[in-house]
Amino acid sequence: MNSIESIIEQEKGVSYTQRNKQLFSFYTLTLIAQEQASRRLKKRAGISLLLIVAFLLLFLAPISSLIEGFIASLSTLDIIDIFKIGALNYGLVFIFYQFLKKRSIF
Amino acid sequence: MESDEELVKRTLAGGNHHYGVLIQRYADYLFGLGMRLTAGNRELAEDISQQSFLKSYTYLKSFDARKTYKHWLTGIAVNCFKDIRLKEQRYAPIDDTNEASYSPRLEENSDFFNLIQPLDDNEKIMFTLKYVYDYRTQEIADVLDLKTGTVKSKISRALEKLK
Repeated sequence: MNSIESIIEQEKGVSYTQRNKQLFSFYTLTLIAQEQASRRLKKRAGISLLLIVAFLLLFLAPISSLIEGFIASLSTLDIIDIFKIGALNYGLVFIFYQFLKKRSIF
Repeated sequence: MESDEELVKRTLAGGNHHYGVLIQRYADYLFGLGMRLTAGNRELAEDISQQSFLKSYTYLKSFDARKTYKHWLTGIAVNCFKDIRLKEQRYAPIDDTNEASYSPRLEENSDFFNLIQPLDDNEKIMFTLKYVYDYRTQEIADVLDLKTGTVKSKISRALEKLK
């Protein structure tokens, strides 16, 4: 039987080679990209859920008073006010969109 | 040739393709380590190698540049090996819990695989790193996050078992 030293020396001389290293590297990088995409998707889903819940809490709870106020204000609205509200809404959406884009969320 | 640390920095800066260079650089090394620890099981060795690269990428931000990337990666590979062994033991059928669920393919240096067979997983890791890869005791302690004294005593116990 070979001595421990000679077995170790023999083992040191053995070189193990990964099959098709380039394919292995490519596949591993693909798995990494997949993992990143899945993490991003989860993050987006979480934020969307949070926004929906926040929206519901903010706007649905006092909705009846809001609707009443809105209906009451309709009688006094003129075309300038409608444009103002529209511009304000689009402005807010644009700012929010830019914020999310900057944070790489959307 | 770019250093490992430079490639890590570039990967963290957003260049995933730099990580591909690291994968190609250490694929054979990790595969070899996996083969030695799993007594020549190619599939498990490939699995260990791949899991190690995935985990290394996930935790790349926590890589301490004072260590070498190779040693850090070795630590991850060793943990992957331990995880795989734990999973094997957890899911092994009740009758076979005392036996490893894989059958080693002794097509390489089977003398070495036979030699380390009586050792437990930790002893196998330490023995292989010390005598095949010529790691110093301090380096093994760093890789395994153990005290130097513990490593020394485990290695001498492993040698006793083999004599």
